[in-house]
Amino acid sequence: MLKPFQLHEPTTVEEAISVLGKFGDDASVYAGGTELLLAMKEGLLSYDHLVNIKAIPGLDVVDYDESTGVLTVGATATHRALEYSPLVGEKFSLISDVEHRVANVRVRNVGTLGGNLCFAEPHSDPGVFLLLYDAEVELVGSGGARKQSVEDFILGPYETTREPDELLTTIEVPRLPEGSRHAYIKFGYHERPSLGLGLVARVDNGTLADIRIAVGSVGPKPVRVRNAEERLRGASLADLFGNTQSSALLDEAGRMMAEAAEPVTDLHGSAEYKEHLLRVFLEEALEEATRG
Amino acid sequence: MAIVGTSTRRPDYLDKVTGKGAYVGDLEIPGMAHAKVLSSPLPHARILRIDASKARALPGVFGVLTAHELGDMDPYYGSDIKDRPIIAIDKVRYEGEPVAAVAAVDLETAEAALDLIDVEYEELPVIATMNDALTDGAATVHQSNLCHESHYEWGNTEEGFAEADRIFEDTFTFPMVYHYSLEPHTVIARYDELGITVWDSAQHPFLVRNELARLFGLSLNRVQVVVPYVGGGFGSKSYIKIEPLAVALSREAKRPVKLAYSVEQSAKTVRRHAASITLKTGVRNDGSFVARDCQIRLDTGAYADNGNRVTDRCADQVPGPYLWPHLTVTSKGLYTNTGAAGSFRAIGGPQAAWASESQVDMIADALGIDPLELRLKNLGAPGDVIRQGKNPLDADIATGLKEAAKGVGWAGRGAKPVTQEKETKRGIGLACSVLNAGASPTSTALVRLHADGSATAMVSTVEVGQGSKGVMAQIAAEELCIPLEKVGVVASDTAIVPYDRSTGASRSTTLVGLAVQLGAKEIKQQLLDLASKHFEAPEDKLAFADSSVVFGQESITYAQLIRQMFGGPAGELMGRGYVTPQTEGPLKGLPVFWEMAVVGAEVEVNEKTGAIRVLRLVSVSDIGKAINPKQAEGQDEGAAMQGIGHTLFEELIYEDGQLLNPNLVDYRVPSFEEVPDGFETILIENEDGPGPFGAKGIGEGPIAAVAPAIANAVFQATGVRIKELPLTPERVWRALQAGTSGGHKVDALTEG
Ligand SMILES: Cc1cc2nc3c(=O)[nH]c(=O)nc-3n(C[C@H](O)[C@H](O)[C@H](O)COP(=O)(O)OP(=O)(O)OC[C@H]3O[C@@H](n4cnc5c(N)ncnc54)[C@H](O)[C@@H]3O)c2cc1C
Repeated sequence: MLKPFQLHEPTTVEEAISVLGKFGDDASVYAGGTELLLAMKEGLLSYDHLVNIKAIPGLDVVDYDESTGVLTVGATATHRALEYSPLVGEKFSLISDVEHRVANVRVRNVGTLGGNLCFAEPHSDPGVFLLLYDAEVELVGSGGARKQSVEDFILGPYETTREPDELLTTIEVPRLPEGSRHAYIKFGYHERPSLGLGLVARVDNGTLADIRIAVGSVGPKPVRVRNAEERLRGASLADLFGNTQSSALLDEAGRMMAEAAEPVTDLHGSAEYKEHLLRVFLEEALEEATRG
Repeated sequence: MAIVGTSTRRPDYLDKVTGKGAYVGDLEIPGMAHAKVLSSPLPHARILRIDASKARALPGVFGVLTAHELGDMDPYYGSDIKDRPIIAIDKVRYEGEPVAAVAAVDLETAEAALDLIDVEYEELPVIATMNDALTDGAATVHQSNLCHESHYEWGNTEEGFAEADRIFEDTFTFPMVYHYSLEPHTVIARYDELGITVWDSAQHPFLVRNELARLFGLSLNRVQVVVPYVGGGFGSKSYIKIEPLAVALSREAKRPVKLAYSVEQSAKTVRRHAASITLKTGVRNDGSFVARDCQIRLDTGAYADNGNRVTDRCADQVPGPYLWPHLTVTSKGLYTNTGAAGSFRAIGGPQAAWASESQVDMIADALGIDPLELRLKNLGAPGDVIRQGKNPLDADIATGLKEAAKGVGWAGRGAKPVTQEKETKRGIGLACSVLNAGASPTSTALVRLHADGSATAMVSTVEVGQGSKGVMAQIAAEELCIPLEKVGVVASDTAIVPYDRSTGASRSTTLVGLAVQLGAKEIKQQLLDLASKHFEAPEDKLAFADSSVVFGQESITYAQLIRQMFGGPAGELMGRGYVTPQTEGPLKGLPVFWEMAVVGAEVEVNEKTGAIRVLRLVSVSDIGKAINPKQAEGQDEGAAMQGIGHTLFEELIYEDGQLLNPNLVDYRVPSFEEVPDGFETILIENEDGPGPFGAKGIGEGPIAAVAPAIANAVFQATGVRIKELPLTPERVWRALQAGTSGGHKVDALTEG
């Protein structure tokens, strides 16, 4: 049951930070509330003060700067806004593709990308695509503003580098290199994903000129798998599929993914099974992203 | 027949789609307090001390209930086995068991009071599994860990095995699953000097009344159970659950009390029995079944609830609809330190059919016989006694099975459907079983014909989503020859409507519907008496049509006859319907009828991930007469979908007595994603049931047959036999891993 709390509705970021600073551990940022209120109802979290940041004008921006090639997503932009933004659909189709598959309509309607990152529940999708884009978050606190890559921001289950009085204000997403194609495979039968594998590839003259791989949900946090990218980069497509040599190459990359992602055994399945799935889906994702 | 047999619109639809319909949670009773329960954090422990003094002293708290307050009564209850205390006494037997309850001015105060209650426990060894329960020298949940045992046999099974050419022995397991009705258990209780009134989300209002009267020492007339709309039951609201706790708390707080459980609390209050079933089956090389020995274990959790009947019914159903010259069945319900298990749609049926129908397919494979042919060879026919001492089979399973086979495209043992994708394989499977349905034939109804010729049928059947209100009205309107909109149904208030045993076991249309029809007939007899006098004509020259009694070219309306009788626009006629074991017709033994469970399924298995997709599912139900065909299909499809749930992913996971997944994020129920692309219900209508217009009940059958049909389809697709449910992708993948070497049947490995 939801215990009584005081609701603060600041209209500027500074005001929000000062309320957070004032009440310390007794206060929490309240965006869509899809995680927060659930956890409070279950008695897992308890706060006397909630700071609703949805009343801060402009914090829900979804904006693209042509000159820098960077998409700015404000802290209160919802999954639904990203799913439906024509701009995102056109220039960041990986985002709209994944956002369309996040949770359910009710959660997407109110849940925010910022809230998803700050909560850092391991069974999540956005971390994966943000890692593929090399996205950064901006945080503002009493000590000022700072930027950090999403990769460094998420530390582990329910753990980020965010200080209690810091507000995540924006997420900055640079465009993928011209000619990139993507695949995102989401697997599982529970409400939340058991596995998310994202892959971005650029094919040049029949070879894999560039590749990025990220994995989420199977382990404590989403990860980029740079050694596997390295291993696959430059491979010719003919070498990638359908022969024993390619199978050995993919096995190796699959192992690297498993090492990086550190699959855990939980209600979604055993670590062994998740490792197996990573290998299976690596191949599927590669085919999807390279073959059209 | 103009009304019966028509898919008329159900009367509650607007209430439900607009959210106007009132459920117990929506009701407010003047002076009502709000209750919260302090649950045990431990699955098995002695209660050394409870100190609730601080909670009692909290302003806004009206009363705190602990075992201490029940000293003046015998506080143990249950549907048959009275082993459940109203609130934990001396020890707790499952994590989540109510240890104290608070009634307060609002929920916040009640919650705050819970924090002030101090309980000291001494942990006891946890009986986490049925194996623990059976271990020599293990701790005991009650006096012993055996809750109930049933046994029957005929022929001589040992001799039968000696006669057999082949003997198969396999063990199958079935998981604990939860009903997940949208509305958790909710009750408002008022205890005062006049007696007890409860507003209840319950399926068996009269059984709740009877048990409350017994517990609190009142005569039946002083206990009233009022049931508004119920947000789904599926058995989770059968018999009696949290009503005694709410009444005792009201008695303590001296005011009405609302107790609304969370999903988590409800999931720990009742679930389906997990099962482990070992079948030893002897057959001849030509496929004739000779002998079977069935050893069933069912996990009833901390309390019996309805576990004794589930234990019996699982035993009744485990041989399947086959004729066995020699049979031995032993079924044991065992206590463990987990939430109690009770009734769940088709009690004991899914567990029994899972084991039996999986093994029948395995036998067919080993003998090289088509599984359809093997079944047809051994099936009982209508009129055959399939269970000694019970009514003969009244369902034509063979016809149903052939229909299902045709519907799902069964083309024989070797004829697998083809798939275009390289990772996937397709297969078709069949399964059939019978459920001894109807519980017992004790139902009554009252039909009132008002002075204007409209009518009210009064029944105890609870509108639990199945559409009973519409169906009862259709039956009354048809029998009385009046328009459907002239019939209202008043239901499920024990102070107003007459007795019915229960809303469950596919029984209401058959038995309560029959009572309504008998009540309407009694009214018609009175109308004949009146019209006979009016026309000065013998009754056999009279007929009924359009709210009138007709005599040749003349007619007189019911309204006119009633007015003549009462001397003005007043009065009414009353018709009684009694359905008892003495009622003429086939209700003399049990079961009331055998409900057919027949399913054909086509699946696609992804061999790389183990994921199963159900492409086509056809179920066949023998309904006798569909009063409302569309609603009947809805019931059938609902049962099939619920079966897909426990087949593919539903499982309550307990670890050392702690429930790990009491929410929909971690416990997956089927959604529209799982609705098979081809989803068909075939209704057999021979108008041969014991109910009104030849109807018999449906709504449970498919849930029993879905799992084996799917597992048999997975076997045809992949050659892998899995004997544990649910068939999660990982379990299927593991089985495929273990099976790829030989390409033949292997058991799934147990997951770590
Ligand atoms: C039923 C269900 C299914 C789901 N399925 C999926 C799924 O399939 N895939 C997936 O990826 N996710 C899934 N989710 C998670 C969903 O994406 C998140 O719930 C949502 O994005 C959280 O956003 P919110 O705005 O509601 O956060 P809130 O609940 O408001 O906040 C979450 C946490 O983040 C903090 N916080 C929020 N915003 C900020 C900020 N700007 N600065 C600092 N701290 C902040 C809050 O204090 C709180 O601790 C699911 C959730 C539910 C309930």
